[in-house]
Amino acid sequence: MSNPAERCAAVNAAIEQIDPEWIIQIPSSTLKTIIDTQAERLGARAFPATREEEAVGIASGMVLAGRRVLLIIQDNGIGNSLTALTTFPQAYHLPMLILVSRRGGLGEYNSMIHTFCEHVEAISDAAQIRSFSLDGTVPLDEWSRRIVDAYEFAQITHRPVLVYLNLMRE
Amino acid sequence: MKRWDALSAIADAFPRDPLVVTLGGSTRELAAMRRSANHLYVLDSMGLPPAIGLGLALGLDDSKFEKVVVIEGDGSLLMGLSTLATVGLVKPQKLALLILDNGAYSATGNQPTAAAAVDFCAMARACGFQTQEARDLDGLKQSLDWIRATPGPLLVRAYTEVEAAKVPYLLEDPVKVGGVFADYVAKNK
Repeated sequence: MSNPAERCAAVNAAIEQIDPEWIIQIPSSTLKTIIDTQAERLGARAFPATREEEAVGIASGMVLAGRRVLLIIQDNGIGNSLTALTTFPQAYHLPMLILVSRRGGLGEYNSMIHTFCEHVEAISDAAQIRSFSLDGTVPLDEWSRRIVDAYEFAQITHRPVLVYLNLMRE
Repeated sequence: MKRWDALSAIADAFPRDPLVVTLGGSTRELAAMRRSANHLYVLDSMGLPPAIGLGLALGLDDSKFEKVVVIEGDGSLLMGLSTLATVGLVKPQKLALLILDNGAYSATGNQPTAAAAVDFCAMARACGFQTQEARDLDGLKQSLDWIRATPGPLLVRAYTEVEAAKVPYLLEDPVKVGGVFADYVAKNK
C-alpha cells in the first residue's frame, strides 16, 4: 500500500500532465504538499477562494472564457458548494475537474468532521455529480492516470467531476 | 431610477463586452427588453455572479474585450460578499460590478435586504476596488463612461426603484443560454 507522500506526488504528476492554466483552491492540511507545489509552479495563477461555492463560480467563468482550470478543495466544502455546482456548471454543462481531499473516518482527529465527510460520496451521488475515488487500496501507478482520465471525462461529459483523494492514512 | 431604464443604459454602454446578469428580475427584464449573445443570463445561483464575472475577467485578461461587466443585485451581492476579498487579491483589470440596489428581494415579494445598513462602496474600496454611486439615470450614465475609461476592479452602486417591470419568466434551457454566450466569447475574444 502506498503512503500519503507517494500519493501526493502522484497527484502532482497528474496535475502537471493536465497542465491547467489556473488552479483555485481552499486549503486542507492533507493537501498542503499539493497546493504548495502547484503554487510554486503557477505563481499567481494558483490562488485561494474564500468559499467553495465562490471557487465553483470563478472556475465556471474561466471555463466560459475557454480556459483550463482545476479546483482543489476538502470534502466538507462539498456541503458549501452543492447548490452552486448543481445550479451552474452542472445545469449549464460546464466541464471542470475538482480534486477533493477526504476527511473523516479512521485517522481523523477532528470529531466535528465525521458526520458530513463519511457520507460525502453518497451526498454527491444524490446530487448526481459524477465522482471517482482514489485511496490506498488503488495501486500507486494508477493514481495519475485515473486523475487525468477524470479530467478528460469532465470534458467529454461537459459536467463537473469530483475525484475524492484519500491522502490521510499510511 | 427604474431598473428597466438602468438595464437599458448598461446594455447600450456595453454592446460587445461580456455582461453577466444576475438572477430574478434583472435577467428577466433584460432578456425581455433585448436578447444579445454577449449576455450571460444567470438563471439561479444566487450570490455567484461576481465570482463568475471574476473568472471571466481573469480568463479574458488578454482578450480584445475591454471589460467584463456583472449586473448584480443587493441581495445576491450580500450572499456572495466574500468574493470582493478574492477580487482584491487577484485584482482583475477588466472586472466591473454594477450593483442595482433596490433594497429588496424583489423576486420573492420585496422583503427588505440588509443593504440599507451597509456601505457597499466602502467595503469594496477596502478590498481594492475603485467605486462610484449613482442615484439617477444621468449619474449611472456618467458611471458607465467612467467604467469604460478606468482600469478595474470597479464597483458602482446604483440605486433603483423597487417596482419591477411585468415580464415573463426566462425558462430556457441553461445549456442553450450558456452555449450562446460561450460561442460568442470564443469568436470575439
